[in-house]
Amino acid sequence: MKMFVSAIALAIAAPASAQSLAIVHAEAWTMEGDTPVHDATILVDDSRILSVKAGGAVPAGVRTIDAQGKPVTPGLVNGATQIGLVEISGSNDTVDTTSRDERNPGDDVSRALNGNSTLVSLARADGITRALVYPSPSRHAPFSGEPAFARLRDGVDILDVANVGVYAVIGGGAWERLGSRAVQWSALRNALEEARRGMDDGDAGRKGKKGHGDGPPGGGRRAGAELIRGVLAGEVPLAIQTHRESDIRQAVALAEDFGIRVIVVGGAQAWRAADALAKAKVAVVLDPLVNLPFNFDQLGARQDNAALLVKAGVRVAVGQAGGAIHANYNAGMGLREGAGIAVANGLPYIEALRAVTVNPLAIWGRGGGALTPGADADLVVWDGDPLEPSTNAVSVIVEGREASTRSRQDLLAERYKDAR
Amino acid sequence: MIRNRAGLAAVLMAAFVLAAPASAQRAAPLPWQEDPFPSRYQAPPPDDMLLRGATILDGAGGRIDGGDVLIRGGKIAAVGKGLANPGVREVDAAGRWVTPGVIDVHSHDGTFVLPLTSIDREASDVSEVASPNSADTWIETAVNAQDMAFDRALSNGVTTIQILPGSTPIFAGHSVVVKPVRAPTVWGMKAAGGVQGFKMACGENPKSWGADDDNEGPTSRQGVVSYMRQQFLNARRYKRAVEQARAGAGAMPPRDLKLEALAGILSGDIRVNVHCYRAGDIAAVLTIAREFGFRVGAIHHATEAYKIPGLLREAGTCAAVWADWWGFKLEAQDAVRAEAPLLERAGVCVMMHSDSPADGQRLNIAAAKAAAAGRRIGINTPPETMIKWTTSNPAKLLGLDKRIGTIAPGYQADVVLWSGDPFSVYSRADLVLIDGTVVWDRAHPHSEPVSDFELGRGGVEP
Repeated sequence: MKMFVSAIALAIAAPASAQSLAIVHAEAWTMEGDTPVHDATILVDDSRILSVKAGGAVPAGVRTIDAQGKPVTPGLVNGATQIGLVEISGSNDTVDTTSRDERNPGDDVSRALNGNSTLVSLARADGITRALVYPSPSRHAPFSGEPAFARLRDGVDILDVANVGVYAVIGGGAWERLGSRAVQWSALRNALEEARRGMDDGDAGRKGKKGHGDGPPGGGRRAGAELIRGVLAGEVPLAIQTHRESDIRQAVALAEDFGIRVIVVGGAQAWRAADALAKAKVAVVLDPLVNLPFNFDQLGARQDNAALLVKAGVRVAVGQAGGAIHANYNAGMGLREGAGIAVANGLPYIEALRAVTVNPLAIWGRGGGALTPGADADLVVWDGDPLEPSTNAVSVIVEGREASTRSRQDLLAERYKDAR
Repeated sequence: MIRNRAGLAAVLMAAFVLAAPASAQRAAPLPWQEDPFPSRYQAPPPDDMLLRGATILDGAGGRIDGGDVLIRGGKIAAVGKGLANPGVREVDAAGRWVTPGVIDVHSHDGTFVLPLTSIDREASDVSEVASPNSADTWIETAVNAQDMAFDRALSNGVTTIQILPGSTPIFAGHSVVVKPVRAPTVWGMKAAGGVQGFKMACGENPKSWGADDDNEGPTSRQGVVSYMRQQFLNARRYKRAVEQARAGAGAMPPRDLKLEALAGILSGDIRVNVHCYRAGDIAAVLTIAREFGFRVGAIHHATEAYKIPGLLREAGTCAAVWADWWGFKLEAQDAVRAEAPLLERAGVCVMMHSDSPADGQRLNIAAAKAAAAGRRIGINTPPETMIKWTTSNPAKLLGLDKRIGTIAPGYQADVVLWSGDPFSVYSRADLVLIDGTVVWDRAHPHSEPVSDFELGRGGVEP
């Protein structure tokens, strides 16, 4: 009975704007300038940021979180991961990263995203609210498929936007389908030429269309060959995962020859082609932790890669941070640690924050990610510097709602806390 | 067990003294006490110095703010406040931190050598897998001293590394402890003076190997455990025969390198590191150790040790753990970041380990993650305790705790001067000393060690 009464009381107390939220005494890193707004009040209404003001007032009846002077940042964004597609990487029946369809270059990963994954809840607890989720190499080399943006809200549905680009992998190593990287580049160019011919024949359909809001929510654009036309039409970028300097310069040439947006993912030797990348406006999604080459393509991998690229004017985002295990299993912590190591190796702090917030969204053609009026209310209250692995996320707000920050690990640790 | 051994040793000693020439001072070591691949490491001439005004974490639980460390003749000469300078180079360490060099007890550097190529995929040197019992192997005979991972470790404050064989065989073989310094062979890096290490494995890795039709070995957890017991039974018989033959009773059995190694485990001369994840696996291995009267040095990975801290504590067995490797296989599902603080609080000897040339560069950051996860469940671990996880506790496991892992007078001067808090992602190793010699100086990056492999390759040099 008592519970009933309080439930009613709660219902009455809740104002009309049930999703209004205020964060007070925040060190707000809005990503608009290079410095934070101190003692900021951040007002959230529904799923949008209403305002960020130093010492701003809070309307009566609005749920308030006191940041106690600690940093508040936009929800962090992982520029390349596979969370939502992987549960136990060692057990194939729980892995949805890879197409085995030889007939089609497409693999629209959005249909496999699983918000119930334990990897997702941990990444969210570590302060990630969005992630670019990409497919692994398919049998239709050099294509992998079409990455999607995940939004790490509570619940199973974590799709933000599908088909945000075309993803290809080029380089040396265990690459049995096409052989030499020369043939891989030819195959990629041929696919682009073929798509261009198809567009010239008049069935391009969507040529010239801008923006990503069209079509059903979650992406109505068709994947596969048609999305390659989307690359040519400037709708989506072509991401090329590659590392060697010669390949990075090939990627730059490709961008210039076809007049398309190209993203280099990985880019261990990108620092050697920094000026060419900057000139061609080719962005790089990289792992700042790498300083050992996993294969010969990655010789010369160094932790100041991000610093050197940003200095040359290349837009950089952090992704695949921490390599095989962490890139997925610690898609949040690895991202933060990677950005921190980039700072330790010369990247200005604000640039590191951009590399895990606004930059990945801009690079993948989404935009947003700042704490500005009207922006999506994805934000995180931290108990310290977000790039320090010793910091915890206190509150994670996704689309204006406080999301769960308790992972399965927290529950296990609590269960055995008193084991002696 | 220990008393019996001591008694036997006394008998042997007496027998030896009677039979041997007068110049011999000691009994010949038993076969498993011998090192067939002795170290050729020689410390370079020491750089005496006084580190002045640092925050010192001594590795053993102590902290001095604004403290000095005097290093002379390769050793720590004094630690404290306001030390007099006897005329050595003085380094202003105000605002910086000093800790013992980081010790990583689980590495495959030199055998899992990056960049990987086809030959490594076809025939890896990480472990010998012709049989589930590779107890006769010595991993140092595979170590490629030109692995650039040693250089990366060193410039990030790592001064001691235990290279273990991999976890595919149940008995994987002998480990080697090295200093990550440049030398043409591993024996120019080998750290002497510790207890010989050995690697065993349980759980998914050995059973999945055995389950492949092409391979020899058990195919299940119970098969792996039973295999361990049978091999130890055989080794016990062999050990008795050798000891009796030495005492003059019975013939010396033919040398068997596998049985010899296992006999060394039973005698306590060889210290076992066991790769296990699940609580039940850990418990089974500790039970076997009890049955055969030896102590397991450490359970490695030990991702569920936090569920059974009492078993480890009572066995005197340490746990070598990650902060945040989890989930990638079924037996790693229940790993938690808070494992180290949970074990610390339960009184278990715990240490961070890497199993990775990348993560091995940041073991203090791993400790920072673990401590942060501990905070989420109300366990606060101060820096002076966290540093034990990467210094004095691993030194104990290696049997080197009277030489390294602590900053105290008389210890070898394996010391790092950090640019700031060693648990901050922004801190760098400014100076790294091994045996009192500067082996890495961030102010002179051109003095950075470069492996022969990296030398002269396009794509590497700026």
